[in-house]
Amino acid sequence: MIRLSGRLRSALIIGGQGMRARKLRTFLSILSLFLGVLAVVVVQAGAETARAAALSNVELSMGKDGTLETFLPGGSKTIEIALDTVKDRPNVVLSLDMQATVGEPGVTTLNPGGAPFEHAGRGGGPPAGIICDFQGCWEDPNAAARPKPQGKAVEMRVMAMSADVRQFREFRLISGEWLNFSGSPGLSPRIVLNKDAAKFFSTYQIPAEMQISGATANLTPRIVGVVDDGMMEPRAYLRMDELFNWLQPGALANASAQMLLAPEAADVMQILKTRLVAAGDKHAEGLNAHPVQSAEMVEDQLSLLRWVFLGMAGLVLLIGVAGILNVGLATVGERIEEFALRRAVGTPRTLLAGIVLAETLLTGLLTAAAAIGCAALGLRFARGFLAGQSASLADISFPWQAGVAGIIAGLIAGLLGGLIPAIRAARIPIATVMRA
Amino acid sequence: MTPLIQLTGVTKILKGQKTPRTILDGVDLTVHSGEGVAVLGRSGSGKSTLLSLVGLFDRADDGQYLLGERDITRLPERKAAALRSAEFGFVFQRFFLLKHLTAAQNVAMALVNGQGWLPRRKRRAKVLSALDRVGVAHLAKHKPPKLSGGEQQRVAIARALVREPKMLLADEPTGALDTETGNLVIDVLHSATKDGCGLVLVTHDWEHASRMERVLRLEDGQLREVAV
Ligand SMILES: Nc1ncnc2c1ncn2[C@@H]1O[C@H](COP(=O)(O)OP(=O)(O)OP(=O)(O)O)[C@@H](O)[C@H]1O
Ligand SMILES: [Mg+2]
Repeated sequence: MIRLSGRLRSALIIGGQGMRARKLRTFLSILSLFLGVLAVVVVQAGAETARAAALSNVELSMGKDGTLETFLPGGSKTIEIALDTVKDRPNVVLSLDMQATVGEPGVTTLNPGGAPFEHAGRGGGPPAGIICDFQGCWEDPNAAARPKPQGKAVEMRVMAMSADVRQFREFRLISGEWLNFSGSPGLSPRIVLNKDAAKFFSTYQIPAEMQISGATANLTPRIVGVVDDGMMEPRAYLRMDELFNWLQPGALANASAQMLLAPEAADVMQILKTRLVAAGDKHAEGLNAHPVQSAEMVEDQLSLLRWVFLGMAGLVLLIGVAGILNVGLATVGERIEEFALRRAVGTPRTLLAGIVLAETLLTGLLTAAAAIGCAALGLRFARGFLAGQSASLADISFPWQAGVAGIIAGLIAGLLGGLIPAIRAARIPIATVMRA
Repeated sequence: MTPLIQLTGVTKILKGQKTPRTILDGVDLTVHSGEGVAVLGRSGSGKSTLLSLVGLFDRADDGQYLLGERDITRLPERKAAALRSAEFGFVFQRFFLLKHLTAAQNVAMALVNGQGWLPRRKRRAKVLSALDRVGVAHLAKHKPPKLSGGEQQRVAIARALVREPKMLLADEPTGALDTETGNLVIDVLHSATKDGCGLVLVTHDWEHASRMERVLRLEDGQLREVAV
C-alpha cells in the first residue's frame, strides 16, 4: 500500500515535471484530441436527451418503467372482488376501460369508432383535407367547401380509476385541473379530457351528456381539465367511485379492467388471485402481472442510432489518438536520455511506462474536461436560444452520461495514444545511452 | 572482512555483430568499504562496459557477482532497479542533468524514483545536505544551463550521494573538465570513501588514478593491479 502510493506519487511528480516542461506539446496533444472527445460528448448528450424525451413519452402512454401491469377478465363479479382488494391500497390503480359517447343522444357521432380528431368523419382514413386513392394521396382542393361531419357527439374511451393513475403515467396538465382523488366522491362525475378529446369540444358545441356503452342511464359529467396523456385518440378520465354514484357495477358487463401496481405492491396480485379462485373463477389461476418495460422499448428504438453516431465520433477520436501517439513517440525519442538516467537511479521500468501513460491519460482527461465544458456551455447557450420556442426544450439539462462518456473517451484515447510510447520508454537500455 | 563487491571471472561478449567479440574476459574485481579503486585503460578497452556490469545496468555472460554476501549475478530487473537505487550512485563524463529541472530537483530525482517515499520536507533536507556536501548548496534553485561544468558535475555527484549508497561508480567524471576543476571533483568523490563508501573511478588521468587506494588497468579483457 505504502509502496504503491509512493510509486504513484513519484509518477505524479515526474509526470507533472514532464508536462510542465513541455506545455506546448501538451497543448497540441489536447488540441488534436479535442474534436474527437467533443464529438463523443455531443453524441452522447444528444442520445441521452432523445432517450429521456422518448422515455417520458412512452412512460406517458405505457406507464413508468418497472410498473406491474395486468389485465383482468371482465365480468361484474371479478371487478367487484378486484375493487374490494385494491381499496385502501394507494399504490395500486384498478381502471375500467369503457366505450362511451358524449353529446347528443341518438346521432351519428363525429368520429365513429372513436377515431382521433384529425380523422374524424372519415372512418379512420387519412387526415382531414387529404384525399387518398389507388394513385396516392394529395391535398383536397375543396377541403374548405366540404361539409363538416354531422352530429354533435363524440365517441371516446373512458377510464374510470380506483386511485390516481398519475403515479404511473405522469399526464401533463394542459388546462384546468386533474382529478382529485383524496376528497369524497362528487355527486356529478368530474371528467378530465385528453388533448384530442378536448379538440372536439372546442370545435363543436357538444352537450355534456355521457352514454356509457352497456349502461342504461346517462350521466352528466363536469369537465374539469385537459391533460396530455400521450394518446392519439380521444379519451376521458374519471373517478370510479363517482361513476358508481350513477351506475351499478353490474351495468359494466363489457368493460375491460386493467390494473397497474407499484413494484412493491406485488402482493396484491397474489391476494386477488386467491380471492378470485375462491369465488370460483378457474381462469384466475393464470393471472399474472408483467412489468412495463418502457426503458427497454426506448432502448431498442434508439440504440442503433446511438451506436452509428458514436461510431462516427469514434473515428474522429481515432484521428486524435493518432495525433497524440505521434507527439508521444516524438517526446519519448527526445527523452531517451532522461529515461535511461531515471532507470540508472533505480526507477523501475514499469513506473517509467506508467509515467508516459499517465501523461497521455492526463492529457486525455484535460481534453475531456475542456470538451465537457464546451458542450455544457453550448447547451446552455442553445437552451437560452430555444427557451422561447419550445417549453420541453427549455428544461433540458446536461446529461451526466455525456460527461462520463467524455471522460471515458478521453481516457481511452490517452491509453491508446500512450501505450506504444510507454512500452518504448520502458525498453530503453541504460548501458547504451549512458556510454560516455 | 567481507568486501563490498566481489566480481570473479566476469565475462562480457558483444553479440549482435557478425562475429561475437569478447570485451571482458574473466575480470576479477574486489572493492572494500572506504576504498577508492581507479581503473585505467585504452579507449575501447571495455572500462565503461565493466562499470555497466558493476552498476547492474547490464548482465554478465559468465562469472559471479557478490554484493556483500549476496549473489546478485542473475537478478531480475525489478530487483536490480531497487539495488541501483539503494546501493549504487553513478557519475558520468557527461553530467546527465535534466535541463528543465533545478539543481535541487535534479538531485531529488534519485529520491523520487518509485523506490520508497519521503515526504517533501525530508526530501528537501536530504537534497540540501547532499548539495552542501559537494559545496554547491547555494546553487540549489539554478537550472543546469546556468551552471559551469564543475558545478554541474558536483550537482551530479550530489545526486549520486543523496541516497547514501554503498558504492560510487564514476565513469571519467573529469573528462569534460579542466585540470583544476577535475581535481576538485576527484577530491569530492574521494572524500565520500571516508564515510565508508566504495569508489570505482574510471579515468584516463594518471594523476587522478594515483590518488586512489588501488590502481587497476583493463587490458585484453582482464584487470591487472598497477603498482603506484
Ligand atoms: N552497444 C554497443 N554496440 C557496439 N559496440 C559496443 C557497444 N558497447 C560497447 N561496444 C564496444 O565495446 C568496446 C568497449 O567499449 P567501452 O565503452 O566499454 O570502452 P571504454 O573503455 O569505456 O572506452 P572509452 O575510454 O573510450 O570510454 C568498444 O570497442 C565498443 O566499440
Ligand atoms: Mg567509456
